[in-house]
Amino acid sequence: MSSAEWLLIGLLAVASYGVRLAGLIGGRAIAANPRLKPFLDDLPGCLMVGLVASSLAGEPIVTWLAALVALAVAITSNNVVVTMAAGLAAIIVGHQLPFF
Amino acid sequence: MKQGFLSILPLAAGAALYGFAFGVLAAQIGFPWWGVALMSGVVHAGSSQIVAVEQFGSHGFVLGAVLAGAALNLRYLGIIASLSEVLRDVPLRVKLLAIHITGDENWALTMARRAHDPTIGAAFLIGSGLTMISVWVISTSAGALIGGAIPDLEGYGLGFAFTAAFIAMARAMWRGRRTVLPWAVTFVVTLGLVQAGMGAAYAIVLGSLVGVFTAQMRRARREETA
Repeated sequence: MSSAEWLLIGLLAVASYGVRLAGLIGGRAIAANPRLKPFLDDLPGCLMVGLVASSLAGEPIVTWLAALVALAVAITSNNVVVTMAAGLAAIIVGHQLPFF
Repeated sequence: MKQGFLSILPLAAGAALYGFAFGVLAAQIGFPWWGVALMSGVVHAGSSQIVAVEQFGSHGFVLGAVLAGAALNLRYLGIIASLSEVLRDVPLRVKLLAIHITGDENWALTMARRAHDPTIGAAFLIGSGLTMISVWVISTSAGALIGGAIPDLEGYGLGFAFTAAFIAMARAMWRGRRTVLPWAVTFVVTLGLVQAGMGAAYAIVLGSLVGVFTAQMRRARREETA
């Protein structure tokens, strides 16, 4: 592994355990804080949406259409693996179509 | 503990499929199987790992990738905090282990069972957590072993599997109509920032913060008018 990969794993491990430890030590106070609670509730969903937006930025129309297919499957199935499979199938089929 | 170990198995099977898919993708980006196993063992946070590896793979920038992955993990503040009753009577070293092996699935199962049966406690949490982390390490490294042996799938749009996973994870975080505005703002701002040339991980964190603050401002305004 490259040093960047080692660094990524190391920093992510420290960050991950650090958050858990903070939850153990001061979690009650943080989670019950009326200013922080809505922030902590809203942040994960927004981050996911931001990730979707950044991975679609600058992509061709076929990728956006595959994302719509994945969204429809996600709404109906609410299952990560099923959505990944459907999204992959959609993009592979999309690339085979003559007009894309 | 044995009860927890066994009760979590159906949920662990779901996580195994997801872990396998993550392993394949991580190997395609260049991680060896043992690196994936190491990461799963020491980080033990599914969505955080997938986000960090995707960001690292597409931009090669460590700090941005860690920032995006760690921000996603902030929900564990609340998850671990809610365990203070469950972990009250166990020794510190057991607490320090329990918080590492606690994931979304075994936390949710422990809390749900405990609501009906007060004898469900730390042993159940730890038993189910041990199953989850073992299944996570094994499934992700198995995925990486397979993913490292097959040719480059990027040409087939494999990277899109990550996008689809993010869409599905967002779906699971949907909280009804109040989610519409912050999500729409986040989507548009992040898209705009990336198009304008900002690094993706920073654009994601900044776009999300703008989305969260939009929701906070609307809530504050509603309270004023109420």
